[in-house]
Amino acid sequence: MTPLATQHEPAALNPAAFQDILVSTATTTLKEKRQAAFNAFSALPWPTLRDEEWRRTDPASLPLDRFHSLPVLEPVASADEHELDALFDVVVSVHESGYSIRDRSGAGSRITVQSLADAARDHHEAVSRYLHGPALIEENRKFTELNGAFWNFGLFIRIPANLEVENGVLVRYRITRPYSLLIPKLVVVAESGSRANVVEVFHSEDDCPVFTVSARELYVEQAARLQVFSLQEWGRTSFHVGEDWGHVERDAQIDWVTLTLGSQVSKSTMGCNVSAPNANAYLSGLFFADRDQHVDQRTLQQHASPHTYSNLLYKGAVKDQGHSVYQGIIAAKPGAIDVDAYQMNNNLVLNSGAKADSLPGLKIDADDLKCSHGSTMGNLDPDQLFYLQSRGFSNAEARRTLVLAFFEEIIAKIPYAFMQDRVRADVNRKI
Amino acid sequence: MSDTEIRIVNLHARCEEKEILKGVNLEINPGEVHALMGPNGSGKSTLSNVIMGHPSYEVTGGEIWFKGRNILELEPDERARLGLFLAFQYPIAIPGVSVAKFLKSSSDAILGDQRKSAGEFLKELRENLKFLEMNEAFLNRFLNDGFSGGEKKRMEILQMLMLKPSFAVMDETDSGLDIDALRVVSKGVNRLTGPAFSLLVITHYERILQYIKPDHLHVLIDGKVVMSGGPELVKELEEKGYDWIRQQFGQEVLV
Repeated sequence: MTPLATQHEPAALNPAAFQDILVSTATTTLKEKRQAAFNAFSALPWPTLRDEEWRRTDPASLPLDRFHSLPVLEPVASADEHELDALFDVVVSVHESGYSIRDRSGAGSRITVQSLADAARDHHEAVSRYLHGPALIEENRKFTELNGAFWNFGLFIRIPANLEVENGVLVRYRITRPYSLLIPKLVVVAESGSRANVVEVFHSEDDCPVFTVSARELYVEQAARLQVFSLQEWGRTSFHVGEDWGHVERDAQIDWVTLTLGSQVSKSTMGCNVSAPNANAYLSGLFFADRDQHVDQRTLQQHASPHTYSNLLYKGAVKDQGHSVYQGIIAAKPGAIDVDAYQMNNNLVLNSGAKADSLPGLKIDADDLKCSHGSTMGNLDPDQLFYLQSRGFSNAEARRTLVLAFFEEIIAKIPYAFMQDRVRADVNRKI
Repeated sequence: MSDTEIRIVNLHARCEEKEILKGVNLEINPGEVHALMGPNGSGKSTLSNVIMGHPSYEVTGGEIWFKGRNILELEPDERARLGLFLAFQYPIAIPGVSVAKFLKSSSDAILGDQRKSAGEFLKELRENLKFLEMNEAFLNRFLNDGFSGGEKKRMEILQMLMLKPSFAVMDETDSGLDIDALRVVSKGVNRLTGPAFSLLVITHYERILQYIKPDHLHVLIDGKVVMSGGPELVKELEEKGYDWIRQQFGQEVLV
């Protein structure tokens, strides 16, 4: 594979392709946002192994040029009904042939769940403010700009002030056309005092390579609470790049659970800014790289204000030749006093060929804060294994039980039994 | 083989290059309760771990016969399925595994189709919990996670009651228990005693032997059983007190 840095832009991302996308974009706001992103994208070099962020994930392992961008997705008639749909108020289903948005409970009349194109028309001001908005706390990011210029599915979710949505929104992606390049963009705004859940599931079969460059912006306004659960179970020949940003306002709380089980290579950045007093972020991750899988996750907990709280727990396992990378940063701005920030990364290394890199870190410009970070690394506890075996568990069953037990702390945070079972089943298949 | 339940013959074992068991001999017949006493470091816990098959201990000589098989080559779970049970001195916590789920899996693995239904299992579990004066809330807690010392030991006895072994080793189950907890634990053990159950009680203290009456008593010192006796020894011990053993084997024998 040719390193991205030395090749021409993949055809899907060249200026001609961008012009096609621009022509098909109806509203001025979106045109301008795309153009600005494209300009930034074009000016930025592709990342290389020399970039700190990419030192452990070779950009050349992302063969973008082999994939063909899907057209900007259009609405299609409601497609398949999935058994889990019944648990949600609104279900968004995304395929290579188009998307559908179904309001199952009537909640859709009170909350906004629209394509970005529709939202830019109906909620021009909000889209203008939030799309590529203040949640993006790091600049000059090639893949953020790529997504901003070329997104081919955009979704805008807004929960109006003081509304509590009972069951929430499910967004499920299922791609069946090989070599599709999916570039989804999700913007969620939980207005002040509102409460909602958003669940995303990404799925493809092992024999259907998909490349995804995903970006999310999550805005949790004053005293709102947003819970987001993302289950990435792309097939083993797929690639996933994620650029995710959260912005939490005064007295608000985000619970953000990221479950990374699929794809051949996954590289994601998740940054969350607790931006005002008494903003709270609970950030959880579960990942499992087996066979030749490579999972690289970078997290940023930004404390931009005094009296803010963030608590991050990422738990991962590696097996066979699997390789995981965790890079964490806690950043506190000058003047951010009375800050509590926690970061923990626990890794299970299940055999000697597997590898987990863990790099927790701090970047502190404030001097009055409680802050801890750490990581653990190790195989299963032999005394726990012996205990289970002495109670009749076979060695294999004891190992399976302990790996699932290791992840249970994260799985228990998911308020949907179906999703818990699905994650356990995914993990189980890998053990 | 005879009808001996468990027969340990000239057992030698080491852990990390240190030889700990130096030729242990012990025979226990069905229905018998044996007590094993000895000072710290004499090899009591090593013996219980070796009987159950802990991989950190290397058996360098001897045999352990159980139900007519030399079990030294068997995995711990195979030994458990044969009817062997170890009540651990330090039961380990397993966060992420609930007590209920653990007990069900364990019971399914060991008793297999002997139990008819999930309902029957639950009924028996509730009954045993009540018998051991334990709250049902235990079932939803993670195994031994945040349990007090006494709760952990009760949990071991609960497992023993549910799994119905034919031979159990209790490794210092009484250590650190207050008198109420000791009474409950002993009550649980005595529920199992009978012609189809044999028991090896490993202890530092004579106190537990007031509740669980041994038929035989052994003293282990420096990796060897130096003294064994039947009911007459137990009786002698009761009459003469433990000072008598101290005098026989030195001050360090019983702590």
